[in-house]
Amino acid sequence: MTYDRRVVITGCGLVSAAGSELESFWSALLAGTCFIRPLADPSCTGLRAALGAEALLDEDELPPVLAADQRRARCATLAFAAARRALRDAGLSAGASELERAGVIVGTTLGEERQLGDLSERWATDGLESIDASLFGRADNHRLAATIAAELGFGGPVMLNATACSSGNAATAWAYDLIASGATPLMLAGGADTLTRVTYSGFSRMGALSKSVCRPFDRQRDGVSFGEGAGLLMLEELEHARRRGARIYAELAGYGLSNDAYHLTAPEQSGEGFARAMRQALASTASAPDEIDYISAHGTGTQYNDLGETAAVRSVLGERASRVPISSIKSMLGHTNGAASAIESIACALALTHQALPPTANLQEPDPAFGPFDFVPGRGRAARVRTCLNLSAGFGGFNACVLLKEAPDAY
Amino acid sequence: MHTECAVVISGAAVLTPLADTLERLGSRLREGQCALPASLLPAITIADFDASRYAAVRGMRVYNRTTQLAICAVKRALDDAQLSTEGAAGERVGLLMAASFGHLDTLIAYDRSLVTQGLARTNPVLMPLALASAPGAATALGFNVKAFSATLSNGSAGALDAIGLGARLLAAGRADACLVVSAFSPCAELTLAASRAGLLANSAPRAFDRRRQGLVFGEAAAALVLERAECCAARGARPLGLVRGQASAFAALPEQGAARLGRAARDALRSAGLAAGEIALASSGASGSLSGDRAEAGALLGLLLEARATAREQSREAPSGPRVAAIKANLGDALDASGLLQTLLALDALRAGAAPAIVGLEEPELPGLDYQTDTAPLTGSHALISAIAHNGACSALVVSAA
Repeated sequence: MTYDRRVVITGCGLVSAAGSELESFWSALLAGTCFIRPLADPSCTGLRAALGAEALLDEDELPPVLAADQRRARCATLAFAAARRALRDAGLSAGASELERAGVIVGTTLGEERQLGDLSERWATDGLESIDASLFGRADNHRLAATIAAELGFGGPVMLNATACSSGNAATAWAYDLIASGATPLMLAGGADTLTRVTYSGFSRMGALSKSVCRPFDRQRDGVSFGEGAGLLMLEELEHARRRGARIYAELAGYGLSNDAYHLTAPEQSGEGFARAMRQALASTASAPDEIDYISAHGTGTQYNDLGETAAVRSVLGERASRVPISSIKSMLGHTNGAASAIESIACALALTHQALPPTANLQEPDPAFGPFDFVPGRGRAARVRTCLNLSAGFGGFNACVLLKEAPDAY
Repeated sequence: MHTECAVVISGAAVLTPLADTLERLGSRLREGQCALPASLLPAITIADFDASRYAAVRGMRVYNRTTQLAICAVKRALDDAQLSTEGAAGERVGLLMAASFGHLDTLIAYDRSLVTQGLARTNPVLMPLALASAPGAATALGFNVKAFSATLSNGSAGALDAIGLGARLLAAGRADACLVVSAFSPCAELTLAASRAGLLANSAPRAFDRRRQGLVFGEAAAALVLERAECCAARGARPLGLVRGQASAFAALPEQGAARLGRAARDALRSAGLAAGEIALASSGASGSLSGDRAEAGALLGLLLEARATAREQSREAPSGPRVAAIKANLGDALDASGLLQTLLALDALRAGAAPAIVGLEEPELPGLDYQTDTAPLTGSHALISAIAHNGACSALVVSAA
């Protein structure tokens, strides 16, 4: 098999707590605005009061299949809204002939968990009668990708990837392979997740849910803050993009994967597995560690993640680790689980486009246990950015990194 | 898919209600045995499944049945391939799981406990196992698989997609071997919902038959070891078959199914460098489903008619068409796991020179195909495996006998 085709990003679509418009999203990130707030309606979390970064969904004309029940089909709605924006941003329209062989890969951690929540509440009173015919379709996470494909006219490979909180990056990696190997010239890839009581309760019981706002890399960090959203990237074979005169945000140069095989929830403290994924991303793109200008961290704000992740970065970059800017936008948008790394890839594409770095918000005192790092604290800043490495990891030991470079025409 | 780097299948395992080895399963199916009981149930399960008979993995007792089945299948596939994942060897082995509902019973139980018992009394151990990725993650953890691990939830098309993805990852040098595993254990809620949705048959499933009324769920697990051919040869291992090509498509509407599945099959054949007329056996995903079987038959008939037209243009003898098999008629529909069973049983049929007959097929809805209604000798070395999922995902795979 030959991987001789280059892959570029020609469209970005997102729905997040910082909105859906790329310009205002980027401005909010650079300003270090934290969107983690008390939820007006915390019922979806199963807690009496909860903080979170709720996505601002401002979409008209949703397809009937989603408009009929936006509350229960929230994850599919977020994914669809982001997909439609990515398609428009790429200069393509629903049903376009280019989409006949184009595909969709969506990553998710929990998908439409809220629909099963309804089932549990009815179970107590209705028993078996609470199970209706639609459960078969509703419990199927593939619906997130299938709804996008059916409503927008994609006819190529349509897949659902589940690698917990690295799902967005892994979906991007699979799409990269399909394009680079010549199977299809266009793939829409990313992730989506919502605020769910499964994640809130689980992290709460594990003592990994922040009591205030998450503070990645801070000495006082006390856990994750959850957010919700979706991020979809239109990935395209370079020559295909050039032929149709598409704007190119960045090149998706390659990716790296690994699996810790260490524990179902805890990451390796040594960061060894994470480091293998990073090295593979560099090797797959023939890039040297000193070419990295910015690292988008997984940066969840838990004790274990931040320790293992910084150890991995130091292991790969060595002495240079203290000088390469690394930040976590989860400090502003919360942890959007399967969507997180896809939204972070969009942030990387915007960093390459605007030559600026998003910050780590809420960071007051970096944990000295990490050694010296440039966490871009507080606010964003201008910088020369040619290469970004976007890191992600998930429960189960999944590690997935993607490497983005400046748009080829900017070389 | 290009095939400059050959990818072989060097190990296999099956766990089904009918048998727990590929050889025995193939043999029993060719004898006409069927897993479906006389008194019809909406789902058939493996009656005497005991995970401890097959594998000893830490944490097994807290895993749900799907995860236990997957772990047992992987253990047997690794044993069959005589492949080690211990120590540093695990860094060159990846794992792809195909499962859409493998976590569903755990998720329902966990969420239900939140409602009925409250947060303070829920079991926090269950939460990470309630994620869609959990069965695959636990399986990778159990065998020290470190190159990569992921779960695809593409319904019945998922296993074939996973084989294609695994072959691409191996060809790109991401690993030397990739375990592809799937397990399906129908939980009560899913079976009830499918029944109420009218998907399940209230009589024998009758794949491809005009009188089919739906499918029957069949519990199963299967795993195979994909391996770079040179790695397999270097170990002195004997491959069962060769992965030649794979392609996927999507049908938004049932009426698009035949065309889109047919296109995936054509793309898979093209990447395999084979013509439709060279396929000896088509192992279809037909299950008795009203729309799925129509799409499967339509796609295969389209390919056959094209092959005959090409033969006429080239003044060659027209191909009679591949034998068309449908193992779900015998084993029930194992959803995501079915693609692996179809693939392994197709290779077994090519090896044995005979494929199992389709139980219950009396009057095909779409005539013109060489439906496997007996166990007449099969000659040839290439098989096409096809699947269309209830959600529109289509996938096709071409394999060759070793």
